[in-house]
Amino acid sequence: MGSRASTLLRDEEIEEIKKETGFSHSQITRLYSRFTSLDKGENGTLSREDFQRIPELAINPLGDRIINAFFPEGEDQVNFRGFMRTLAHFRPIEDNEKSKDQNGPEPLNSRSNKLHFAFRLYDLDKDDKISRDELLQVLRMMVGVNISDEQLGSIADRTIQEADQDGDSAISFAEFVKLRC
Amino acid sequence: MVRSDPTQNRSNGPRLPAAALLALALAAAAAAGAAEARATAESRPPDATAMGASGGTAPSPSGSALEETRLHVFTLDYPHVQIPFEITLWILLASLAKIGFHLYHKLPSIVPESCLLILVGLLLGGIIFGAQEKSPPVMNSDVFFLYLLPPIVLDAGYFMPTRLFFENFGTIFWYAVVGTLWNAIGIGISLFGICQISAFGLTDITLLQNLLFGSLISAVDPVAVLAVFENIHVNEQLYILVFGESLLNDAITVVLYNLFKSFCQMRTIKVVDIFAGIANFFIVGIGGVLIGILLGFVAAFTTRFTHKIRVIEPLFVFLYSYLSYITAEMFHLSGIMAITACAMTMNKYVEENVSQKSYTTIKYFMKMLSSVSETLIFIFMGVSTVGKNHEWNWAFVSFTLLFCLIWRALGVFVLTQIINVFRTIPLTFKDQFIIAYGGLRGAICFSLVFLLPPAVFPRKKLFITAVIVVIFFTVFIQGITIRPLVEFLDVKRSNKKQPAVSEEIYNRFFDHVKTGIEDVCGHWGHNFWRDKFKKFDNKYLRRLLIRENQPKSSIVSLYKKLEIKHAIEMAESGMISKVPSSVSLSEYHEGKIKPLSPTEMENMREILTKNLYQIRHRTMSYNRHSLAADANEKQAKEILIRRRHSLRESLRKTNSLSRERPAAANTKRFLSLPKNTKLPEKLRVRNKTSSKVGDSSDSEMDAATTVLNLRPRAGKILRDQRQKQQRPLPEFRMEWKNEVDGKQDGAGAHQETSGQPQPSVGFRQPLLTRSRFGTLTGEDLSADHRSTGPMPPPRLVRQASQGERQRNKPENQPY
Repeated sequence: MGSRASTLLRDEEIEEIKKETGFSHSQITRLYSRFTSLDKGENGTLSREDFQRIPELAINPLGDRIINAFFPEGEDQVNFRGFMRTLAHFRPIEDNEKSKDQNGPEPLNSRSNKLHFAFRLYDLDKDDKISRDELLQVLRMMVGVNISDEQLGSIADRTIQEADQDGDSAISFAEFVKLRC
Repeated sequence: MVRSDPTQNRSNGPRLPAAALLALALAAAAAAGAAEARATAESRPPDATAMGASGGTAPSPSGSALEETRLHVFTLDYPHVQIPFEITLWILLASLAKIGFHLYHKLPSIVPESCLLILVGLLLGGIIFGAQEKSPPVMNSDVFFLYLLPPIVLDAGYFMPTRLFFENFGTIFWYAVVGTLWNAIGIGISLFGICQISAFGLTDITLLQNLLFGSLISAVDPVAVLAVFENIHVNEQLYILVFGESLLNDAITVVLYNLFKSFCQMRTIKVVDIFAGIANFFIVGIGGVLIGILLGFVAAFTTRFTHKIRVIEPLFVFLYSYLSYITAEMFHLSGIMAITACAMTMNKYVEENVSQKSYTTIKYFMKMLSSVSETLIFIFMGVSTVGKNHEWNWAFVSFTLLFCLIWRALGVFVLTQIINVFRTIPLTFKDQFIIAYGGLRGAICFSLVFLLPPAVFPRKKLFITAVIVVIFFTVFIQGITIRPLVEFLDVKRSNKKQPAVSEEIYNRFFDHVKTGIEDVCGHWGHNFWRDKFKKFDNKYLRRLLIRENQPKSSIVSLYKKLEIKHAIEMAESGMISKVPSSVSLSEYHEGKIKPLSPTEMENMREILTKNLYQIRHRTMSYNRHSLAADANEKQAKEILIRRRHSLRESLRKTNSLSRERPAAANTKRFLSLPKNTKLPEKLRVRNKTSSKVGDSSDSEMDAATTVLNLRPRAGKILRDQRQKQQRPLPEFRMEWKNEVDGKQDGAGAHQETSGQPQPSVGFRQPLLTRSRFGTLTGEDLSADHRSTGPMPPPRLVRQASQGERQRNKPENQPY
């Protein structure tokens, strides 16, 4: 049951991660054992290859983007804290959390943070806008080979048009949020 | 366990009514020589010599006694072929009915097939009843338990996602054992309470009889559950819970049924009998499983030696599983658990031993058998309903139905509260509702009720009626309404708004991301026991049960094949345009985006729906009627190929750009980015010792030599690397191999991902030994033999600088 793994993760670390991400103790230990099993180099960090070794990710059309989301800007390795921080975005929102801690920093799995995460997956050049190019790339990744480029282009145009409100032919974060409401 | 009751002498089965039908149908055909022919058929005892329509009646005693019969030109001898003829007709009828259902293609999605089949059976039963003026013979319990049920359970057990099953084993076990107990005793006692009310005229039904009735009606039926759950697409977790429960509760049902039946027949009940009952439960359950596992291993071992007789390989699978079933039945253990355990055990090892074609044959044949069985079961249920077997009592029947529903719902609710404490993913209300609502009863309780000895149960007909009502209710009403209810529960929380073209895109995007993150999180870390089992498995079992040399080479050869194919293509055409050229990306007219008409929007949406990649399912959803998703395979292959191509393409493009790049550029790799991104570090030497390498020149040389690596050696390198690192991933290989069908091509794309370095390493591997590329001389050739680097084609060699070669050589030892 991961007893081997949990001895490598100290309790105070678990506490910190718990506070930061909101995962429960058992979830953290379980994810840690997954982390260590992915970490073939056994140096406490994951590199991109470690992620690419997951076969299911290889056939995920957005696999590379997802992998990149784990790595903070400019870095090539991610440690367990970073791993958990990214995963924390996907924790389901619990209602009782909202009332608890109004003064503290927003929890990582808040709705707005989740949307931010998703937005960052689209927006590669980090200019806080999803341009037509970026959208087109994402579309192309997600769509089979049978769609012609013009069709894809018009779909992308339509997508932008539906969301764009300030007429800059790109989707800003605010427009993105409104779309997803 | 008692499934075949010797006191039952309804051995005619469904033959009589079919004989009547047949006689009617053939009356016209036998018009010629009619009188004599029919007389011959009916009066004469079946003679070995009177075969079919062949002429000539052999000397037979009755004939010569009366007068000399003339030579018969045409004879009809039905009794001779009666049994196989009728069986064939029934099966044919069932299959034709299935064709009929799918003619109207929307029908199966609204009404589950089981309902339709029961309706057909009812119709048929009505016809027979009307024609014969008596109750049609009931489906023989023997036929059901010995012939019709095993294929279905085998099919389900063989395709059961083992990992998911064992992850949820605790919950499944909990629901199956405690849940069934709860239901049985609850229903029994409350019915007894109802029976005490003298107004209903039921006071002669004792407590024990009620308990027995409760135990047989609380059995959730795997056949019905599967039939209905195919239509609604619940998540895999839920599916495995309900389905696993329906399989496992057989043990409890058997024990309780026998227990109460014996109690009913015994005069006094001692405490020791109750303990015997409890002990019996363990023996029944565990014994069944042990038999199944034992025979599963024997089967796997047998298939190790079958490589010379490929043609009968599938036979072993079926024989051994059936053997496990009837062996368990012989000892009165749980046959269902035996056959399930056998199938699950056999699955892993047999897959590796048998040939590809045998494997496909096994799968298809299994599906065929189980499909036919299921159809027949439902039709027979319909046929057997019509008749004089019933005694209607409003109170009993309606209260039975009511209690079944109430106790099931209560049971699921209470049990879930308890088990949620121990689960990592708690079950939500919606899950609980589906579990409770999906507890369908089916043919098992039907057969069990027919097995009740009438001597001990004077009100047997009442029981039969009540069971039939409950079954019909659950199968029809619950079966038909579960799907809209599920959708209703889903939709309730989201608010309806104007559907946008982009909505599908966003939703699909998020689903892909979620699936990806799920995959990253993996299957709940590493279970201690599972790891231990895997070690044991690798060390002993696999060596014993699997033929040597088989798996590795097939994977590698497929990978090699794919590599060769791509190499040839690349060499010939320069680039395969599966990836859109970056030109399209820059086609950006700064114009206004014109509003689209609704039809155009519809078109767009349709295009999207058809072409967006599906979310990968973690486990293949069980489908009685079709095999593994070929569409998924095709899609996965497409994605893989595209990623590889885009990777190569970006490499080549970047290569053609300027060679100068800032030194120590920590560039990230984004696949399918516009063409002017920097080369990623992914291409750097993937070696622990040299992970710090960041010179631009290194990356550049990597890029420069990309084009050269598409040689079959890549496969060899892959295999060597894998061997050296000694990290076989049998689990992955197993899962992927499941999806492999006869086509080698389709398999290739999958097999390659099962090696632990992913396709991209296939590119990079040869890059490691780039020092080789610079040389053609003999001394390096010998060095080549020592390592496993590829031998580059001479004409494409680029000269690496000497200095680099020296420096990088030690780092480039293939790992």
